Amino acid sequence: MTTSASQPELKWNRYDAVAALIVALLAVAAALWFYLPKVNSGGLTVVISVDGQQTERVRLDRFTQATVSNGGYTLRVASDGEGVWIASSDCPGQDCVHTGRIRRGGQSIVCLPAQVVVYLEGAASPDAPDVIVG
Amino acid sequence: MSVMRKMQWTTKNLALCAVLTALALGLSTLENLFPVSLVIPLPGVKLGLANIVTVFALYELGAAPALVILLARCCLGSLFAGNASALLFSLLGGLTAMVTMIGLKHSRRLSIYGVSIGGAAAHNLGQMAAAVITLGNTMVLGYLPFLLAVSLVTGTLTGFVSALLFQAMAHVRLSK
Repeated sequence: MTTSASQPELKWNRYDAVAALIVALLAVAAALWFYLPKVNSGGLTVVISVDGQQTERVRLDRFTQATVSNGGYTLRVASDGEGVWIASSDCPGQDCVHTGRIRRGGQSIVCLPAQVVVYLEGAASPDAPDVIVG
Repeated sequence: MSVMRKMQWTTKNLALCAVLTALALGLSTLENLFPVSLVIPLPGVKLGLANIVTVFALYELGAAPALVILLARCCLGSLFAGNASALLFSLLGGLTAMVTMIGLKHSRRLSIYGVSIGGAAAHNLGQMAAAVITLGNTMVLGYLPFLLAVSLVTGTLTGFVSALLFQAMAHVRLSK
């Protein structure tokens, strides 16, 4: 059995620049898609999702803190009324803690080991319930 | 102009694939000692040093051996880490990158830099798909713009190191 191999072109060329430009444009398009429509859209809602299920959905101005446990890990979610962040977590990577504070609709904090996603949704409906805990 | 060669599945080349798999696993472990996520706090963000081996194998040995090395690296890496969920991330990221790089390589327009950048971007797309499946939430796609931007840097870095490697080994034909 055989398989083909070939010698690579080792110098940067204009087609590489086009490839890099396409990736950059994809990044910009994805950023616009996720963040532009949700900026300045009024009140924000904090949503906590565990294993794909929403466990909490609270208006940001009424959210103070929450403790989430899953997969053997415990996260403490904190808020100052203008944004939320993971104050502490016992997960190994600590990426969720290092993400810092999110404060715009569409932003999220992910903890892969605990399979927890904390995110802000654009506008809260005026007649939405203040808290759902499930 | 690229020079096409055929790699024989000889014992020597099988051993070469094993050595490259071990090297990829070593590089994966090495980059865990320098977590990029401390500087860029995004889940799953990495330098992708193991991708140097994938790019090298793709050009030096061909698509099939590169795929075998990739699959062995993903499976053994998850086994050694004792993390089954990491396998889905590795496989989806790695396979998406591999398919993309094979396609870009066959276009014959791009240098090793362009192929590497395309592979890095595709790797992040694959990992995002794995994150959506694992977390059951599409909000994680909000990380995509940042991960794609990071892939421009990591892909260029991987391409640069791979180009240096091929220059250094210009007179060595490993797979013969």
